[in-house]
Amino acid sequence: MTLVISTCAEELSEPEFVTPLARIARCHVKHYRSVSPKDIAKADRIIISGTALKDFAYLDSDWSWLKDVKIPVLGICAGWQVLLQAVPTYPVGLVDDVVIGPREVEVIASNPLATGRFSAYFLHTKNGAGVFDVLAVVNTLEGPVPCMFKHPSRELYGCSFHPEVMNEEIIQNFLDLDTEAL
Amino acid sequence: MKLGVLYSGGKDSTLALLKAKEFHKIACLITLVSANKESYMFQTPNVHMTELQAEAMGLPLVSVATEGEKELELIDLKRAIAEAVSKHRIEGIVTGAVRSTYQASRIQRICHELGLWCFNPLWLMDQVALLDEIVKAGIVAIISGVFAEPLDKSFLGKVIDKAMAGRLAAAAETHGINPAGEGGEIETTVLHAPGFKKSIIVKKSYASFDGSSGVYHIHEAELK
Repeated sequence: MTLVISTCAEELSEPEFVTPLARIARCHVKHYRSVSPKDIAKADRIIISGTALKDFAYLDSDWSWLKDVKIPVLGICAGWQVLLQAVPTYPVGLVDDVVIGPREVEVIASNPLATGRFSAYFLHTKNGAGVFDVLAVVNTLEGPVPCMFKHPSRELYGCSFHPEVMNEEIIQNFLDLDTEAL
Repeated sequence: MKLGVLYSGGKDSTLALLKAKEFHKIACLITLVSANKESYMFQTPNVHMTELQAEAMGLPLVSVATEGEKELELIDLKRAIAEAVSKHRIEGIVTGAVRSTYQASRIQRICHELGLWCFNPLWLMDQVALLDEIVKAGIVAIISGVFAEPLDKSFLGKVIDKAMAGRLAAAAETHGINPAGEGGEIETTVLHAPGFKKSIIVKKSYASFDGSSGVYHIHEAELK
């Protein structure tokens, strides 16, 4: 069973950032403040949602349970920032990086979620990479900017863009990951 | 939180307002009156009705005129939102955006620059489900513009009820249009909705149709 975790401090943000994920994944949603060990134990994969640009309350919460999670996790935007902060031995600060609107993305490393080039919708003011492997970039005049990530040894994926807007197939490919084979 | 609603007077911004009202205080409506009928950002048919709609809801209206020139109209939008912040102390904006990344990203950028929250409660909604929710919510919206085949003069001025929602869904099946008009296929004007203390009664109107597009012009209306 897939578990979608909402990072939204404001309930009014959930139709925008969480409901589309729940529709694609056909699953239940838990808010990050109420997710329990039982919820995690029942899940075979987890998607952590994005939230409004002005919302950073999720960064003050305890996400330490992510350190021990053995199942695949996909962090989207705010969810990706959560992964960056929670995974052990890789503490990395988030840097200011305002990107709003569609951008062209180029996949640079083979991965099960995306291939080739595609347009994606960005809505963030912070980003980072740490020691996560970079799977895809946005090519800018200043050079390539990482936007899609995978942990070197675990099935932890991050997108700094919102695949639910223009790239539902990325979410579908995550849902189709064969967890038995992992 | 005190919020301002970017309000065109159509069905989507009205439904977005109703959803926002469940959680926050709506402090004002914000309308851009565009001189350009081809504006990428703003609805034009019957946008003057927002004055009556605001009165019906008992909400103040911040109305700003714009020439509607691409990108330049964003300066007017920012000015309107800044005026709403100044006059009504709003902390965030609500929009009825459903699919347009062009509109949504520009509004998000303005909100970011002004330090405001941005809420898009209809974002990525299935359009047939959206029409269904509008009807079920008790929003009485008429079709005030048609801009795609097979939508013709017979649609103009008609209320979007269950039967009309079915007609639009059927047109989506046969002609690939967006049934709720997210691609600009239709524009709507709301005559009544929950929260309206009075309904808008159209006194004088006429429909114009040139074979491929048409508008239902409301010339005189009153609250009753």
